[in-house]
Amino acid sequence: MEFLAVVLLAVFVGGYLVLAGADIGVGMLLPWLGRRQDERRLVIASFAPFFLANEVWLVASVGLVAGAFPGLEHDLVEALYPVVAVLLIGWVVRDMGLWLRGRVDAVAWRGGCDAAVTAGSWALALAWGSLLGSLLWSGSGGGLNAGSVLGLPLALLFAWHGAGFARWRLPVGLAGRVARVPGRYAVSGAVMALVPVAAGVRVPWSEVAADETSLALTAVGTVVLLPVLAAGQALVWWTFRGRVESPSYL
Amino acid sequence: MDDPLMLARVQFALTAGSHFLFVALTLGLATLVALMQTVATLRGGRRGAAVESRMVRFWGQLYVINYAVGIVTGLVMELQLGLNWAGMSRVTGGVFGAPLALETIGAFFIESTFLGLWIFGWDRLNRWVHLGAIWVVTLTAYASAYFVLVANGWMQRPVGFELVGGEARLTDVGALLTNPTALLAFGHVLFGGLLTAGFFMAGVSGWHLLRRTAEVEFFRRSMRVGLVTVLVALYPVVMFGGVQFRYLQPTKGGGGDADAAVAEFTARFGPDEYMAPGLAGAGEAVMVMMWSLMHLVAIVALVKVWFGRWLVRGRVFHVVMIVSVPLPYVAMLAGWVFREVGRQPWAVYGVLKTEDALSDVGSGTLTVSFAAFTVLFAVLVAVNVWLLARFARRGPEGASLGAAPPAEPAAPVMSPTF
Repeated sequence: MEFLAVVLLAVFVGGYLVLAGADIGVGMLLPWLGRRQDERRLVIASFAPFFLANEVWLVASVGLVAGAFPGLEHDLVEALYPVVAVLLIGWVVRDMGLWLRGRVDAVAWRGGCDAAVTAGSWALALAWGSLLGSLLWSGSGGGLNAGSVLGLPLALLFAWHGAGFARWRLPVGLAGRVARVPGRYAVSGAVMALVPVAAGVRVPWSEVAADETSLALTAVGTVVLLPVLAAGQALVWWTFRGRVESPSYL
Repeated sequence: MDDPLMLARVQFALTAGSHFLFVALTLGLATLVALMQTVATLRGGRRGAAVESRMVRFWGQLYVINYAVGIVTGLVMELQLGLNWAGMSRVTGGVFGAPLALETIGAFFIESTFLGLWIFGWDRLNRWVHLGAIWVVTLTAYASAYFVLVANGWMQRPVGFELVGGEARLTDVGALLTNPTALLAFGHVLFGGLLTAGFFMAGVSGWHLLRRTAEVEFFRRSMRVGLVTVLVALYPVVMFGGVQFRYLQPTKGGGGDADAAVAEFTARFGPDEYMAPGLAGAGEAVMVMMWSLMHLVAIVALVKVWFGRWLVRGRVFHVVMIVSVPLPYVAMLAGWVFREVGRQPWAVYGVLKTEDALSDVGSGTLTVSFAAFTVLFAVLVAVNVWLLARFARRGPEGASLGAAPPAEPAAPVMSPTF
């Protein structure tokens, strides 16, 4: 049961890094991908229909940790308090920039929202780099360490992954702006999926696991729900397939 | 405020309180939008369907604005539990974690995915699939509220567990999921949300009818939907609230039971202030008073709702509906104060004291995060109120949800004539 829960956690964190990693990366590259405000709206439209369905992977991961590995929640969240706080604030600032950008028709408002999306995406990616770095360094959290700083360059993985996504989803003209960045969505996606596996290898799972009943309830419940979640995600990807041509609601 | 416990408690109260302002409207308005879209879809191209489709877009946009800001406050709240209240997951994570995990995976995950489909798929999805999407969003929002209240209900009345070495272990899943303090609170919150959305719709419609804006037919219908919702929800909300008093903690209610409970707690945990703070009783009083005011307004609604022309006329009636919009909000916040403050000094009643649930972080860190998150939330609430008012005022013509994509760069918007 514990093994099952570890696999599920790897799937959800991997899902988050692969899917949301791309839209965070595009957010980081927003000023370079879109030079004018109307171009930036199109860049945002490239991931707009997905970002809600992407960030839920992280919320579900946090839920899984809370249900199956409460000890890890304590190790990560409490011990890495400053990093998690930055992650959270970056996330909120970025999402607000996205949601509010299209609601007021003024140049300064859109400029402010674009800045919020870019800054929030960078904060989010840097916080993730630091978090993963801390885990890779120590194996089980345990507070800030050298890895928290050494991990910061991992943020560039997000930008790289975002560039691959942009090449695939943006109109040909805008996509050309990242043509010089080597790599494809599938390649950077595979790297993103491996990151949580590497970070989780040394975590002492048995020590942080919940008791048998709670673990079983969480893991079995998740397995039962997984096909429904996958079907919803597939419907989103199928509905919004292809290159983006026009701005969205955001 | 250099007391870390107080700081963390006030921070959580502000987070949870502002989060709930959004939740209340989201739960109710999602239901009403789903019902309106059902009617619009069933009627297809027939008479009245055009107005109904526009109603879905207008009220749907207000719902989406509110949801977008509400979602981030919810994310912060869930993570704040881990940040500031690590003792909670240490001692009770074995029980508390499972409902929260099922909430995120089984409810929130699906809700958010389908909301994206609904918002961005307006002109891409088959209209029945699109209708299905909003119903999935609504039902998973209910599921979400249920699971969160299972966690909260367990904090009020812990059941189905045993303490092993200072850690709570789940022994009875059924007892956890059918805890009356969860089920009854769920009914209470569900109808409270409908009441909020009903007053919100009636208030916004009242504003337009009072100002005699162009959309008389649109807001006459909306006013009726709002008033009917108020009438439907008013009594269930008070019944689900009232039945919960059977499960009230003795230290909240007072009397002989309270003395016995205090004696027992003192014997087991040492002396402390075990009676609920006075603020809890004040919360109860405000909640009941707000309900009485809503009841008075509902009597007016009961007279007015039958005749379309009566809804369009009556300036006093319109003003009353506008000023009534905050009533359910105040009632709900007061109700939460009654429920949560009344549980003190316990985080989990009779199991874990609030002071022992606090994370082992310095008061410096807490102060910084308090300042950062309070400023952030104040901005979020202000932006939400401002945007809701702005788009409510603009009327159905200003709704960009489900509209054809605008040509860029957008032409300057014509200023409204009211």
